[in-house]
Amino acid sequence: MNRKPKTSTLVIQTIIAIIIALYVLFPFFLVLINSFKSTEAITKDPIGLTGMSFSQFSTNMTDVINNTHFLFWSAFGSSAIITVLSLVLLAVFGGMAAWVICRNHTVWSQVIYFIFIASMIIPFQVVMLPLISTFRDVGKFVGIQMLQSIPGLVFAYCGFGGAMTVFILTGFIKGIPYELEEAAGIDGCPPEEIFFRIIFPLLKPVITTVTILNGMWIWNDYLLPSMMLGQNGRVKTLPVAVQAFVGSYVKQWNLILAAALLAIIPMIIVFLIGQKQIVQGMVDGAIK
Amino acid sequence: MKKKVLSVLLASAMVCSLAACGSSTTETTTETTPETTTEEKTDSTSTETQTAETTTSDATASYEAIRLLNGKPEIDSQLQELAAKYLEETGNTVTVETIGGDTNASDELKNMYQADNMPDIFVIEANQAANWTGMLADLTGEQWTEDTDFELTDDTMGVIGFPYTVEATALAYNADVLEQAGIDPSTLTSPDAYKTAFETLDSMKDELGLTAVLGWCAEPANLGWSSGTHVFGQYLDAGLALDDTTYIDLLNDGGQIDTDRMTHFAEFIGMMNQYSDPDLLIDGTYDEQVAGFAAGKYAFVTQGNWINATVTASSDYTGFAMGFAPYAFEDGIDTIIAGPPSYWTVYGDGNVDAAKAFLQWVSEDSAQDILVNKAGLISPFNDCAYAAADPFYDSIKSYMDAGKTSGWHTMLKKDGLQNETCQVFADYAKGTIADADTFTSTIAKVIKAYYAE
Amino acid sequence: MNVKNTSKKLISLICLFAGLILFIESLIMDFSGSTNSFRGAMLVAGMLLILAGMFTFPSLKHHRTMVNIVFLFPLLFTFAITVIIPLILGIGYSFTDWNGIKYTEVVGLDNYIKMFKQPSFIWSILITFLFVIFNMILVNLVAFLLALLCTTKIKGLGFFRASYFLPNLIGGIVLGYIWQFIFSNVVTKFTASLFNQNYSILSDTHTAFIAIVIVYVWQYAGYIMLIYITGLNTVPRDVLEASAIDGANATETLFHIKMPMIASTFTICTFLTLTSAFKQFDVNLALTNGTGSVDGFLGAENYLTNGTEMLALNIYSTAVNKNNYALAEAKAVLFFIILACVSIIQVRISNKREVEM
Repeated sequence: MNRKPKTSTLVIQTIIAIIIALYVLFPFFLVLINSFKSTEAITKDPIGLTGMSFSQFSTNMTDVINNTHFLFWSAFGSSAIITVLSLVLLAVFGGMAAWVICRNHTVWSQVIYFIFIASMIIPFQVVMLPLISTFRDVGKFVGIQMLQSIPGLVFAYCGFGGAMTVFILTGFIKGIPYELEEAAGIDGCPPEEIFFRIIFPLLKPVITTVTILNGMWIWNDYLLPSMMLGQNGRVKTLPVAVQAFVGSYVKQWNLILAAALLAIIPMIIVFLIGQKQIVQGMVDGAIK
Repeated sequence: MKKKVLSVLLASAMVCSLAACGSSTTETTTETTPETTTEEKTDSTSTETQTAETTTSDATASYEAIRLLNGKPEIDSQLQELAAKYLEETGNTVTVETIGGDTNASDELKNMYQADNMPDIFVIEANQAANWTGMLADLTGEQWTEDTDFELTDDTMGVIGFPYTVEATALAYNADVLEQAGIDPSTLTSPDAYKTAFETLDSMKDELGLTAVLGWCAEPANLGWSSGTHVFGQYLDAGLALDDTTYIDLLNDGGQIDTDRMTHFAEFIGMMNQYSDPDLLIDGTYDEQVAGFAAGKYAFVTQGNWINATVTASSDYTGFAMGFAPYAFEDGIDTIIAGPPSYWTVYGDGNVDAAKAFLQWVSEDSAQDILVNKAGLISPFNDCAYAAADPFYDSIKSYMDAGKTSGWHTMLKKDGLQNETCQVFADYAKGTIADADTFTSTIAKVIKAYYAE
Repeated sequence: MNVKNTSKKLISLICLFAGLILFIESLIMDFSGSTNSFRGAMLVAGMLLILAGMFTFPSLKHHRTMVNIVFLFPLLFTFAITVIIPLILGIGYSFTDWNGIKYTEVVGLDNYIKMFKQPSFIWSILITFLFVIFNMILVNLVAFLLALLCTTKIKGLGFFRASYFLPNLIGGIVLGYIWQFIFSNVVTKFTASLFNQNYSILSDTHTAFIAIVIVYVWQYAGYIMLIYITGLNTVPRDVLEASAIDGANATETLFHIKMPMIASTFTICTFLTLTSAFKQFDVNLALTNGTGSVDGFLGAENYLTNGTEMLALNIYSTAVNKNNYALAEAKAVLFFIILACVSIIQVRISNKREVEM
């Protein structure tokens, strides 16, 4: 006796949903159409379709992509390398650490776990200033450049992302029956192989979740890279490049919006491909 | 445009005291400690060697690539051209980076310093030298210092600033419009004269093709440097002789202001608010302001000669003549502010030799050609062969020749004050601050609080 | 087996030995102030070799311990350098006159006293709390209504969910500039004709604050909506059917069945919005950069120019723009304490609910 909603109700609901969707997507629409206009055309009519032209679009895009402060491809490359490296390392190191913490019922593993969990409360602001000076000093001391470098930033992301990764992974590993490992251990399988051959493959779904959560954060993060790389540094991530680009110009909206479009597109493509996993991952991450 | 620095007089006063009274300076130091003498001797010898090196190095030496941080977005492309020319002539690379649209170059530099990302040459305003005490290279004895009166000298660090341009600011006007309206700009030396002129222009808006009499913009977030530093600077300097530091001294003595002068200034600003284009006044942008002036929509604009290249490059520019009129908020004020607004300094831990070689090259002919003829700058160097292409040049020159220029003392106010005062201008423009007296009392407490911090 | 063990032992010892030499050698170079550029690479190689040596260390009894150490080390090491050490240093620095690079003296509680004497900081705290409260209510309300809409039987649900979630994918800096454009170029056209206000709502402290809230709800509601949808889907179908048989209408079902059953989801979402609103930085920076004037706050002599500057941005600008690192660090420590309290309350509430259930 499933209640069949009345058609009128459905129509009203659909209309509301469409109106909200239009409102939510409107800014994206504006970014898109205004990337096809010149500054004057934008000032005259920011919401209409007048003044749009493909030649203006390609001018805007070339201007932005080749702009010495934006350098889209290099920023995109740095962002991609930093994100991918951090995600891979976080998944592997996080899995390793979570497994050790989970399978050892010693005081030490409890303490380490507790510290990880507790550290999730720490806001970035409280560590960011000493972080920069620590990285500068450590880098100078050991002769590895930590600031202004991709490895340094990846290192920092491993440190900051570690706690959440371990937290989510530990929760999952707890649910994997220990008998599996015991059986393998009796067969003479060394622990590292148990982890990499048996446990790690089982972690696939939860690693997807962790990777999505960390990936969204790292790709969009502004404050950490801006502090560590400085503006107009040798290395720029996309958000830093956008800020540097806007900062070096006197409000040319056609170029700024074209730059925004370039920064948005990769994320939207990824979302369209992995929509289901991303939505699921974001929800799982929050509920845990 | 953004970074406006020290007054001509202050700079030249410093130079004078070093040159003319150089002996006395040396004597004082000599008396204090015998070691200083030796140091100075070694200094001067090394300086000579440096000079020799620099001169020879131009043609031959090759250096590692250096970075220059520019604070004037409007000459970004010309500086890129300059860097290309440098590469072509000497084989050395200079990377020009620009900050200054929305981001404050001085703030960004602090960030860059923290991130260990300092450029070799960067822009500072005179009052920011204190932030970099002990970190800037001494440029004393460089050959170019002999060809200019405008270098920035610091008590402890020596010659630290390379003047790359001389700039002027006052009320820029469209000479053709004023002529059509029958207004002689040279008579604009009192508030009453302005009032009459503004009224005349306002009544003739349609036939003159004006949108508004004035293109004045008090938007605080992106144009705070304009209201908080430049326009505010008129309170400090307008009408004063080049070396007169009365009001900046008063200000830097715990943030005091002269209430009468400030009230007159506020009344004048109130009149500007009234006659400015309302679409521009509160949340306009620099681009809109300059574009409007170039298109002949405004008879006056509250910027300086740095707008020249943008104006003449605009497709709407009809070729009208332009000049500067003083901010005559009191009777008899007849001066404009002129001098180098900011300087290029060399980072002591950077590639100093390469930076020095570059600066020397910039002071020479091929670089000046680009800076003067393409970037529209006015050269601070006496031996510069190019007459400025700047359409404001004649007007600026006439003030200079008549000795009617005031200093850029606004660059000596406490660093960051403009970020506070610009909000007061914005509130006045919006009408949240209703009258000149409230403006005066508000700005007084803002300044006081900032100096107390 | 024996041969294998011996060779393993050999590899292990060689690795350990070589690793130690490289490690110690590069440390000596560090301490002696050498500027040799490959000392960093040596240090890393040495550490890797030591780890490899431990990993291949033969005795089966110790092997497990070694693996534990090797597995924990990478994450713990990065974590210690990026979080623990800076945290301890930071708390320490907040009691000194630290300038971002070094400190010369310990000043005790001076920074803490000073920050509470700054009306601009008090204002930042105040509007941050206001912002948090507004957001907690608005984001949850909007998100819950969206979730209800997205669990109806209308067509194209997948599209609607995806589009509502879309803003959450974009970083705050880019979003901030996009909205700055909308507010100053598009919205102004409407306010000009409707209210005769021809300047951007970002130019006025009060309306700029509302603007930040609007952008934040726009960005965040889609995400919270997803969590509510998940919560609503967990309500068992038979319960709903039973209530329908009992003649409950849609509103009654919502208030008496659905909402109590997803109470834990409400807790999660409330705290999620709460903490994220507290940490709000990117949008604040890109949208207004903290500008806006406030006259006469805490005394007529005060005229503040940071009308829309929230805590996170205030900390940032105190350090980076005003060069006052120690004061910024003290503010950050306070920020930390506030957030820690919020988190503890959250844990308390969730635990209590679990016990009740």
